[in-house]
Amino acid sequence: MIRTPNLTRPKSLEDLLDPPLIAKIARLDYTSKKIFAGKLKGERRSKKRGESVEFADHRPYVEGDDLRHIDWNIFGRLDRLFLKLFLEEEDLALHVVMDCSASADCGQPNKFRFMQRLAMALGYIGLVNLNRVTVSAMGGAIGSDEAAGARGGAGEAGLGSDATSPGRSLTPSVLAAVRDLRGRRRTHDLARFLCSLRPAAAVPFTECCRRVALARRGKGVMVVMSDFFIKEGYETGLRLLVGRGYDLFLIQVLSPQELEPDIAGDLRLRDIEDGDQAEVTISAPLLKRYKANLAAYCEQLREFCARREIGLLTVRSDMAIDVLILDYLRKRGILR
Amino acid sequence: MTWLSPMLGIVAASIAVPTLVILYFLKLRRRDVEISTTLLWKKSIQDLQANAPFQRLRRNILLLLQLLALGAALTALAQPQIRSAMATGQKHLILIDRSASMNATDGAAGSRAERVSRLEAAKAEAIRLVDSLREPGIFDQVGGGEGDQAMVIAFDTTAKVLQSFTGDKALLRSAIRAIEPSDSPSSIDEAIRLALAQAPRDVVIETRPDGTESRYERPPKPVGTIHIYSDGRLPDVGRVDAGREEDMRFHSIGTAEATNIGITSLRAGRAFDNPSELSIFVGLQTTERSPRTVDVELRLNGEVASIRPVELPSATIEETGERKGRMAPGVGGTVFRLERPEGAIVAVRVSAPATDELSTDNAAFLVAPPAKRLSVAVVTRGNLFLSAALENLPLARLDTLTPEQFEQARADGKATVYDVVVLDGYLPTTPKDAATPLPAGRYLVLGAVPGTPAGLVDKGKLGPAVMVDWSKTHPALRGISLDALNIGASRPVEIPPTSAATVLAAADNGPAIVELTTPEARAIVVGFDVAESDWPFDVSFVVFMAQAVEHLGDDGAGVAQSVQPGGVYAGRLPRGSAEVRVRLPDGATAPAGDPAPDGTVVFGPLQRVGVYQMSWRGEPGPSDGKSGDRAVRPFAANLLDAAESDIGAVGTLELARQRVSAEADSRGKTVRSLWPWLLLAALGVLLLEWFIYNRKVQV
Repeated sequence: MIRTPNLTRPKSLEDLLDPPLIAKIARLDYTSKKIFAGKLKGERRSKKRGESVEFADHRPYVEGDDLRHIDWNIFGRLDRLFLKLFLEEEDLALHVVMDCSASADCGQPNKFRFMQRLAMALGYIGLVNLNRVTVSAMGGAIGSDEAAGARGGAGEAGLGSDATSPGRSLTPSVLAAVRDLRGRRRTHDLARFLCSLRPAAAVPFTECCRRVALARRGKGVMVVMSDFFIKEGYETGLRLLVGRGYDLFLIQVLSPQELEPDIAGDLRLRDIEDGDQAEVTISAPLLKRYKANLAAYCEQLREFCARREIGLLTVRSDMAIDVLILDYLRKRGILR
Repeated sequence: MTWLSPMLGIVAASIAVPTLVILYFLKLRRRDVEISTTLLWKKSIQDLQANAPFQRLRRNILLLLQLLALGAALTALAQPQIRSAMATGQKHLILIDRSASMNATDGAAGSRAERVSRLEAAKAEAIRLVDSLREPGIFDQVGGGEGDQAMVIAFDTTAKVLQSFTGDKALLRSAIRAIEPSDSPSSIDEAIRLALAQAPRDVVIETRPDGTESRYERPPKPVGTIHIYSDGRLPDVGRVDAGREEDMRFHSIGTAEATNIGITSLRAGRAFDNPSELSIFVGLQTTERSPRTVDVELRLNGEVASIRPVELPSATIEETGERKGRMAPGVGGTVFRLERPEGAIVAVRVSAPATDELSTDNAAFLVAPPAKRLSVAVVTRGNLFLSAALENLPLARLDTLTPEQFEQARADGKATVYDVVVLDGYLPTTPKDAATPLPAGRYLVLGAVPGTPAGLVDKGKLGPAVMVDWSKTHPALRGISLDALNIGASRPVEIPPTSAATVLAAADNGPAIVELTTPEARAIVVGFDVAESDWPFDVSFVVFMAQAVEHLGDDGAGVAQSVQPGGVYAGRLPRGSAEVRVRLPDGATAPAGDPAPDGTVVFGPLQRVGVYQMSWRGEPGPSDGKSGDRAVRPFAANLLDAAESDIGAVGTLELARQRVSAEADSRGKTVRSLWPWLLLAALGVLLLEWFIYNRKVQV
């Protein structure tokens, strides 16, 4: 809840992804309930019968089919024309969207750091499985040196107007992104990008979602990480992200302190993003009411998601990444 | 409920309560905390404000609790007290009977195992009363309030203020605890007088317009509550003249059923004709409801001389007379007759049963003098009757002198060999500036009146007279009747107010026989000339002469020298005695002070029964013993009081103008100060407040 004191930002891949975790998650791959049509042939089975080596099925020949796919052996035995169908393996677009608002830079453990590490792990799984990995940071500012490196490595970064302007140590932007990374060797590029991110003050969530929605290509899995404490409302933004062939999955990251406030006394609470103030005297009824409100808020989000086939997972920022990935995300069918 | 310092509480409240409320009105200084989002918090605050109509109240519950705690503390500051209605009076007078009957061991009702004397029970009850007195508050130095006050008076035959009015309970308790039992009979009259003397008096000085002042005293206000702790065995209670408005409380100590067997009289005497025979008369009394035979033991100088069983009748309830319905004790007695010319210390002990509650009167003591013969000189110019009357007395020496011979003997210093000098119509010459009418010595004066200074006023010879009244108890007149006496030429005297003379017999025209006591001389003066009356022909004349000579010759060591506890021993020592000391029955020694010029010495009041021994440096008297270089004279103190020995407790005191019943609930309730409880309550409320504060703040 409160801004994390004495926070050390991750500086390299090792900070984000330690080798034991790599060993655990290397075997995982993404799955999607929706049908994906990748642009490149990847390691992913497509529902589209394709030209891979893996046999899928036979079907009767109809006029117009490619003669190259006729199973001549069956024709020899049955004197009928059947087409041999192969599973086509295709790549999957993985789009990880991070909420880089100042509110994420709170909690103990730090929510933003948690999101960085989770993004790295998810990205790594994507990269290893030759998926197209895009990581967007909503409202993230990029430290100048890291930004340069990230741009150099990723080829492109940032749609925001200020994102590319050099000479500033911290360049706030509406949306910073690293796009279409593929393959294990891009792991470091991804790590560099994630390490360069710094939470900015306020994020226009709907605007960011619109940009993300417009910028994405193809089909795939989109993971949005945020606390979803958005004053303007998350509904419009999420509605923009739903559909267009993307399997949307939300991970709501809450700090333990948000769930169980540990503040006491007569306080003036100041919103870290917009400076809004609330004078409270912490009391048992108030805390009870707060928890009820929090539960209701989360329930509302869950209902919103369920109605639109959006996957939702609420996690605490002190949860172990490997447990989250190996257990929770697998159970929810996002990984296999 | 009373408040000891209400003003202090009000002043403190008027400061503290507004301060506390003002503190609450001060704007709260809030701590700034940056949080991720205020979204949920704002909503929560709104929800709470919308949902809880008593939210304002709930926010102020801490204030309410603090006000409650403060209120309790302030009430404690005002020092409320709850106390019984009994202790409403401002002043209490605690009168504790310490007479002999209070030594009875039935103080603790019911339990015979632990025998507590009535005095101890009375003291304990009085201390309970003291405990129930309203205490002055701690802050009364500021507020000016006052607690109850009490004074302690202990009485037997005399009353003594042991502690004057004070509110200091420790002083009162120690004064009560210091009361020692005595063996004296009881007399409440003086105690009540002493108590009533404490009544506040208002002296009003009025100045009239013409400038003259008049002073008058308002009638005294009631002195306060008089608490009498006694068994009610107070013979003079009917004389107590306390006003009806006086608040008297009688705390009856002891049980009405208490029984006692005691010696009520003890006397020793020697017959005129046979002085070597000693008779000892013992009177006994029992309050038991059944007849009983007791053994009476006689010891002479500590050795058992005789034991005699005495049958005592049961006590009866009187059916007639003034004391109707009251218990009349059974009385009995015995006489020991012994051939004993020498003196002895006589101790009589009665073997009391186990139910006997009072042991003080189970023993009595007496100092029997040795058989003594007097030396008498008759100074006369010839009087047949005198010689005839005195001749047959067992005297050591009887000289008949003329006045000239007597004066010569005085001048030679030989007159002191005579114990008694009978002066017949003659007075020894005294220097003109002498302070006393008679020289030192003891005289029976017949037909003459020792004049001033400090003597009598001679009214001269008058006509015939008859006797109208005489003292029947005086040793000189005991047992004789002067009814038939006709005086031919009376010579009445007048007793000036400054004179130490008492009338023994009065004729119809004035005192006829007078006893005159001066510091040096003692005399019985018969003013008229017996030769001019028919008295010498009456047997009473002989008896009078014998008794008068014996009485005058008695130098203080006589048989009658038994003193009641509470009284004083007054005796006469030979001239030149010094360093007079008295050994008490318990073995301690007390100085008795120097004797007066005529040898009179006074010691007392005596507290306990038993044999006292007075010793002095100097010559012993004719009947005194000698121990080393000091002369010794024993004397005895005995209760010998039928009223004291009748120890059944009385429930009602019949005063002259008031009837006081014993209090049914004589136990005072203790004053309860509430402030410790209030402070405790304040502490409890503060704890509750702290708990609620913490509950509000934490989850």
